[in-house]
Amino acid sequence: MEREAITEGTTTVRVAAGSANRPRGEELFRAAREPESSVASAAVGSTGIEGLEPLVAATLDGETAFFARCSTDRVRSVAAALGDGTLPTDGATAVVEHEPRVATLPTPEDGPLAVGDRVVLGGCGWRRPTSVDDYQAVRSPVAPSVDRSREATARIDEAGLRGRGRGDVAADAPVVEHWEAVAAADGDPIVVVNANEADPRAAADRLLLESDPLVALDPALAAAVALDATDIVVYVNETETLAHRRVRAAADALADELRMDVPIRIVAGPDEYKTGEPTMALEAIEGNHRIEARRGPPGPSEHGVDGRPTLVHTPRTFAQVGRVLAGEDMTGASSDPGTRLFTVAGDVDAPATVELSTGATLDAALPAVETVEGRKAACVGGVFGGLTRSLDVPASAPGLESARLGTNGVVELLGESTCMVALAGSRATFAREENCGRCVPCREGSTQLVGLLRDVYDGEFADGMLRELLRVVRETSLCEFGRDAARPVTTAMEAFETEFTAHAAGRCPAGTCNRS
Amino acid sequence: MSTDPIWENSHTEPDVPLAEDIAPGTANDPVAGASEAATLTVDGQQVATQAGATLLDACEAVSTDGEVLALCSYDDEELIGPRSECRTCMVETEEHGVVPSCSFPAEDGMSVSTDAAAASEARDVNLDLLLSDHNLLCTTCGANGRCDLQDVSIQNEVVEPRYGVMHDRSELEPLDDSSPFIQIDRNKCILCNRCVEACNDVQVEGVLRMEGSGEDTRIGFQSGAETMMDSTCVSCGHCATVCPTGALVEQGLVDATTLPIPGFTHKNSAEGIVGEDYEHQPGQMTPMKRELDTQNEPRASASTVEGDATDGTATEGEDRP
Repeated sequence: MEREAITEGTTTVRVAAGSANRPRGEELFRAAREPESSVASAAVGSTGIEGLEPLVAATLDGETAFFARCSTDRVRSVAAALGDGTLPTDGATAVVEHEPRVATLPTPEDGPLAVGDRVVLGGCGWRRPTSVDDYQAVRSPVAPSVDRSREATARIDEAGLRGRGRGDVAADAPVVEHWEAVAAADGDPIVVVNANEADPRAAADRLLLESDPLVALDPALAAAVALDATDIVVYVNETETLAHRRVRAAADALADELRMDVPIRIVAGPDEYKTGEPTMALEAIEGNHRIEARRGPPGPSEHGVDGRPTLVHTPRTFAQVGRVLAGEDMTGASSDPGTRLFTVAGDVDAPATVELSTGATLDAALPAVETVEGRKAACVGGVFGGLTRSLDVPASAPGLESARLGTNGVVELLGESTCMVALAGSRATFAREENCGRCVPCREGSTQLVGLLRDVYDGEFADGMLRELLRVVRETSLCEFGRDAARPVTTAMEAFETEFTAHAAGRCPAGTCNRS
Repeated sequence: MSTDPIWENSHTEPDVPLAEDIAPGTANDPVAGASEAATLTVDGQQVATQAGATLLDACEAVSTDGEVLALCSYDDEELIGPRSECRTCMVETEEHGVVPSCSFPAEDGMSVSTDAAAASEARDVNLDLLLSDHNLLCTTCGANGRCDLQDVSIQNEVVEPRYGVMHDRSELEPLDDSSPFIQIDRNKCILCNRCVEACNDVQVEGVLRMEGSGEDTRIGFQSGAETMMDSTCVSCGHCATVCPTGALVEQGLVDATTLPIPGFTHKNSAEGIVGEDYEHQPGQMTPMKRELDTQNEPRASASTVEGDATDGTATEGEDRP
């Protein structure tokens, strides 16, 4: 094991690839090491921009050349050139001058890597994912700086931090309320890092765990110390083996380095959308053979894993917690300080996860991707996101909510041929098929919702009945799954009502629905 | 244990399952209700409640303006419910918006409105949603006249459920007529979970469970058995006692209210029947608890995956064992 941080070297070649491009990335990494030379090399995680992968970054004395979708021959010649003491720039996608030995990816002036603010993402595609030395090059771990006084909680409070992602008990709400509820509850607290996101559109948590797991694990450890928690569970998706292994290695390395006595356990949960919902995550962690939502109140703060007080945050939230505890200036919208991660997906060449200030608007994320067939609309927030024509919407939780969009960090672009009625129907069908079956508004409501949408194709657009049903599903479902499930249909009917009336008249304006 | 030799001979092996082996397939819900006594307002009337009280307790203490149906709630046995699945107990609160009264703690100073538009709408719609998935052939149902679903439908003045009722015979589940004691008609089931809790939490028999998800959610057996007679049921009857509808009915009562019209019975109200093999064998015992062969493997698993090299370059062992 190399003790020295890779960021210490001034001559380095990095090969960045996420799990989607991993075999190709490994091939390139082997090729990069072929020339006999003293050039340091590292296989790093994805930058978040899948379209650039595998991405090779050649660094020499404060200058880095990026080569997107790099070939094996090219990486060999890049490594050889570095070995000869020259920075190869021929055919480079971008060349960036920077301070020598930077610990975060130097961002080019344009192109996808220039999109947004790479703060939480700074180490993704640059630092070795499981190296504590690389992590320490950017900041001292925050966990040892925390004690059992209320100080950490007070700083979270002062920062006004909100939770990020549907898997977070404090989703969109002030994080401090969740911390204080856990601290006030009876029993031994436990910390859960909820990273089981089965919605393929929402890639941000997986990106953090694959590319820079310490950015979430160190703050999770800090939270455990601050709340006097005895252990930590990282709850991952059973299919995400790379994230799983890197979390294990990073957690072990962190434990070695910090010598802190809080065990970190990894639990792999089912690859099902519902099991990312926080109370169903608790059920999976407890080992239940059937996963359904848990009734509340009290919620997980008081009655979590095995009835213990449980802090449940996503890796995204923990990354922001880390920023607060490291004393960073959070900036962004005052109502929702910090940054938010958005994966731009849908009708695009390759998805891209970018980081926006909460003071920015969503359209700032668009240059990160190539769209394939124009853009008619977007579904913001994942499978149960809200449909909108405009992306001139604040990237903050309150801004997204007032635009009736979802906050799970997805901007799914929908091309011109997308039929909004069909899309609404497919999301309702997803709700019908994937719900846990516990409560009536979600279980039976989603079934009736699919039926009422099907009636549109038969000429009957019962909009009043649909709206009434959607209100009840949203307001009375037992967990967030059902409360979110109404959103795609509700927003589709609001923004694209004419498409519904056209279908009722036997015509699909997008020309994609076949009536037979 | 008694020293009487008769007992020693007949009870060499305990045949009662250990409580920790019971796997009802339901969530580890917290205890519902308030941690302390409270005074709150329901429809403008002041109500004092005890520790442990829910908003439904407060609503039941006064004459409410709206009909708080609370169909799935069960108050004769503390170990049963609140399941809070039917959502026909929704009320509006100034503090928390629309909430399920059956499980929401009665907190000091709360202001509850039972006839707020959003709450009434929620109860009406959720009741109709229940009826939409219910075989409404009351006239051949053994629970006709003693059915909670029927009662609340009358109470809520349902004339024509807005989503209709289950009527396509091909979609009906076959009746489970295998047991000589209890008949199961899942087409009448509202998934209130009372039977599962009676079976597991009160009788500690570990027979019934909730299984499946979405539309396929149903009451099944922890042993994986397909029929009541193949299950480990001891025919105690508690499930049938707590069932709010005609889903679990004592065999002697299944046609108790059927009108005397030739050929029109409960058994032919559904498309098929399972367990006819067992007919005319009254008194036969179920296999009981020969062996506890449950199918209740955890859905999540603790990690056994080795971490990769710290530079993230491992190429082997990609798949979890």
